Amino acid sequence: ACLKENWNANAEAAELQRLIAVEQQKAQFQAQVHNFTDVCWDKCMDKPSSKLDSRTETCLVSCLERFIDTTLTITNRFTQMVQKGAH
Amino acid sequence: FSYFAFNNAEAAELQRLIAVEQQKAQFQAQVHNFTDVCWDKCMDKPSSKLDSRTETCLVSCLERFIDTTLTITNRFTQMVQKGAH
Repeated sequence: ACLKENWNANAEAAELQRLIAVEQQKAQFQAQVHNFTDVCWDKCMDKPSSKLDSRTETCLVSCLERFIDTTLTITNRFTQMVQKGAH
Repeated sequence: FSYFAFNNAEAAELQRLIAVEQQKAQFQAQVHNFTDVCWDKCMDKPSSKLDSRTETCLVSCLERFIDTTLTITNRFTQMVQKGAH
């Protein structure tokens, strides 16, 4: 195999890796949106009505932010527990 | 020429990297599960900040959920070891 063919194969592989990474990022973003929507729909939506009122919309925004705060709180505490080890 | 699989040193290193990634994935899965459980237990209507009462509840929730898992594990282990009758 000559050098030029090898160069093309490497460049194509790198580009393919980049495209895969972009698609994985898009898929992860969609999965997170889906999860937050499930969680905050349950917390904030009472009986659905004919429009999304501002109280529900405020709740949804707070919910998203507080859920992320909650995840960080749990992550930090659980990390401490794991580092201290089982006893 | 042809590519062969990894030599022993490379295989060992790859195994180590895989084990590290599995550990990270397991940790993330556990955090995700605890977050779901304790969100349901501790979060009333979400507000504009995470107040200290809720934060205390989340920490207690995490610790008590682990205690609960251990309690169930120990008791169920006993039951299984004693066998069905």
